[in-house]
Amino acid sequence: MRYVKLPSENFEEFFNSLKSWGTVYAPVKQGNIYSFKQVNTLGEVSLNYTRTMLPPKKFFVHPKDTLLKLKNGRWEESKEVEKIVLFGVHSCDIHGLQILDKVYLAEPIDPYYKNRRENAVIIGISCMPDEYCFCKSLGTHFAMHGFDLFLHELPDGWLVRVGSVKGHEIAWANESLFEEVTEEDLKHFKEFEDKRSASFKKHLNKEGLADMLDLAFDSPVWKKYERICLGCGNCNMVCPTCRCYEVCDYWINAYESVRVRRYDSCFMETHGLVAGGHNFRPTRLDRFRHRYYCKSYFDPSAGFNCVGCGRCDEFCPAKIEHVKVLDEVREELK
Amino acid sequence: MNPFQTYDARILEIKELTPREKLFTLRFVDPEINKEFTYKPGQFVIVDIRGFGEFPISLCSSPTRTGYFQLCVRRVGRMTKYMHKLKEGDIIGIRGPYGNGFPMEEMEDSNLLLVAGGLGMAPLRSVLWYALDSGKYKQIYLFYGTKSYEDILFRDEIIHLLKHGEAMNCRVKLAYEVESPSCIYLEKGFAPKVCKGVVTDLFRGEELDVENTYALICGPPVMYKFVIKELLDRKLTPGRIYMTLERRMRCGIGKCGHCIVGTSTSIKYICKDGPVFTYWEALSTRGLI
Ligand SMILES: Cc1cc2nc3c(=O)[nH]c(=O)nc-3n(C[C@H](O)[C@H](O)[C@H](O)COP(=O)(O)OP(=O)(O)OC[C@H]3O[C@@H](n4cnc5c(N)ncnc54)[C@H](O)[C@@H]3O)c2cc1C
Ligand code: SF4
Ligand code: SF4
Ligand code: FES
Repeated sequence: MRYVKLPSENFEEFFNSLKSWGTVYAPVKQGNIYSFKQVNTLGEVSLNYTRTMLPPKKFFVHPKDTLLKLKNGRWEESKEVEKIVLFGVHSCDIHGLQILDKVYLAEPIDPYYKNRRENAVIIGISCMPDEYCFCKSLGTHFAMHGFDLFLHELPDGWLVRVGSVKGHEIAWANESLFEEVTEEDLKHFKEFEDKRSASFKKHLNKEGLADMLDLAFDSPVWKKYERICLGCGNCNMVCPTCRCYEVCDYWINAYESVRVRRYDSCFMETHGLVAGGHNFRPTRLDRFRHRYYCKSYFDPSAGFNCVGCGRCDEFCPAKIEHVKVLDEVREELK
Repeated sequence: MNPFQTYDARILEIKELTPREKLFTLRFVDPEINKEFTYKPGQFVIVDIRGFGEFPISLCSSPTRTGYFQLCVRRVGRMTKYMHKLKEGDIIGIRGPYGNGFPMEEMEDSNLLLVAGGLGMAPLRSVLWYALDSGKYKQIYLFYGTKSYEDILFRDEIIHLLKHGEAMNCRVKLAYEVESPSCIYLEKGFAPKVCKGVVTDLFRGEELDVENTYALICGPPVMYKFVIKELLDRKLTPGRIYMTLERRMRCGIGKCGHCIVGTSTSIKYICKDGPVFTYWEALSTRGLI
C-alpha cells in the first residue's frame, strides 16, 4: 500500500477536484437518516455518519434497472453509464461490494454491473462504530482492497491509503495537496484504530456458526421470530449483500417494451412460488430462517454473506436484532 | 456479450401432446448459432416471449439429433399461456443451454433406470433418446407414472417402445391412476408392463443390478421421497441416484438468487449447480428435495 497525507487545509480543494472524475455522491443527512446523494460542496457531506439506509449497492444494482429495450422486435442493451465518485464509503460497505462482485462478476459476467463498477471511484473513510455495528466480528472493519483511496482521520488531516492505479492517478493529479506521512501521523492512525477497535459494543460469535445453524434447523427460536417478524423485507432492501431480483417486461407503447429488474426479497411469499401454486418456502418461518442461512453461509473462499453493518437491525420495524437471533439459536442448542 | 440477450428461434412445428401440453420444435434463425448450439440431456433453456417475459423450460429432445431442438410446455399460467397461443412460423427468443445436465459419459456401460412422473417425462425423454441413439448403455429402463391415458406424454413413442423396446435393450413400464377403456386396452396388450397404480408400483418384481445401475428421476416434488425409498431399499447408493429439480428461476445463471436452496453449510443454486443433483447432495443440502 502507498500512504500519503492530506492536511486539513487542503481537504476542500481535494474534495472539489474529485468532480473531474465523475459526479460525486456522498453521505448526506436527511431527517434522521443518511443517504448517498449527489453533492457539490464539502459542507453538504456528513463525514461522521453512521450508516446510510441504502448501501452503495444502489449505484451498481439499481433498485429498478432497465436491462433491455425492445426495438423492432429485437432486444437492445440499455447502455447509459455515469462516471461516479462514491465519497465516504465505510469499510464494511466496501466488503459488501466485494461480495456482490463475486456474484455479478462471476461468469457469465453481468455487463451492467461491470460497467458501473469500472466507472466508479471508491473513496473510503474511517468511522467509529455505534451500537449496531459488529463488523469487527466478521473481519470487515478494515478494508485491504476494493477502494481507490481510503481516508483515515488524523487530528490535523487525513492519512490516505492509495489502493489502486486509479487512486494513484487521483493522488498524482493532486500531488501538490499531499505531504509525506510522518511518524507522528502513523502514531495517530494507530491510536484511532485502537480506540475504534475498543468501541465495538456488539459481537457475533461466529465460531462454528455455519454448522451450529445447520443443526438448529428445527430450533424453537425460528418459531418465536416467525411471530414477531412482519415479513416486510426491509432487512433485504437495506443489506449491502442482498441482491435477489425479480424481472418484468413493460410496454411503453404499442411498439416498444422494456425488460426491467428490481430488488426482490426472500421475505415475499412469491419468492419461492412456482407454477401450479407450489411454494418451496410457504411459511414465514421458512423465509425468516432462509435469510439467516443465506447470510451465515460460510463460503471458504469468501467468508459469510454478512458484513456486520447493522442496517438490518436499525431499519427493522419489529426491532429484530441479527446477532441476538443467532445468539439465541446457539443458546437453545446447548 | 450480454448474457441476458436472447436469440431468435423459429417454431417449426407445434404438436398437441395432451390438452395441457404442447411440443414445440424450434430452430435458431441464425445458421451459425444453430450449428454451435449443443446441450446435454437434463439442461434447460430460458424462453423469452419478447415484451411479456421469460421462463425456464427443459430441453426434451436429444443432442444426438441436430438441426432442431424441442420443448414440451405445460400450460399452467401467464407465460405458458402465451406460449400456447403461438403458431408455427412464429419467432421467440432463447438463451442457454443452462445447468449441469446428467453425466451421460460417466454412466456409459451401465444400466439406466429412468423414473418419470407426469411432466418429468420431458427432460428424461432427452436422456432416453440420447441413450438409445448412442448405444453406449447396457439396459435402459423407463418407469413412467401418469395420471390418465390422455396425460401420457409422447404417447406414440411410449407405445412404440412398449412394443419394440426390448429389441433395443429398452424396457418401458407404465403406471396410470385413472382407469379408462384405453388404459385397460394397454394393460391387456402389454401386461405386466402396464398397470394401474403409481410409479413406485412399477418396481415390484424388478431385480436391480445395484452395482451397475444409475437411477435418474424427474417428477413432481412429492414423488422423490417415495421413489428414493424404493431405490435405497434395493441398496442403490446415494451417489448413483440422480434427480432433476425445479425452483422459481429468473436469470438461470446464478445472479437473481431465486433458486438458492440449502443452509449455512451448503448453499446451492438450482440453476447453475443443478438442476441435476445426486441423492447424496440432497442428503447434505437441506431443502433440496
Ligand atoms: C429447470 C426447469 C425446467 C423446467 N422445465 C419445464 C418443462 O420442460 N416443461 C414445462 O412445462 N415446464 C417446465 N418448467 C416449469 C416452467 O418454468 C413453469 O411452468 C413456468 O415458468 C410457469 O410460468 P407461467 O407464467 O405460465 O406460470 P405462473 O403460475 O403464471 O407463474 C408466475 C410466475 O412465476 C414464475 N414461475 C412459475 N413457475 C416457475 C418455475 N417452476 N420455475 C421458474 N419460474 C416459475 C413464472 O416465470 C411466472 O412469471 C421448468 C422449470 C425449471 C425451473
Ligand atoms: S445481514 Fe444485516 S448486518 Fe449483515 S450485512 Fe446485511 S444488513 Fe448488514
Ligand atoms: S426488517 Fe425485520 S420485520 Fe421486516 S422482514 Fe426483516 S426481520 Fe422481518
Ligand atoms: S435462476 Fe437466478 S440464481 Fe438461479
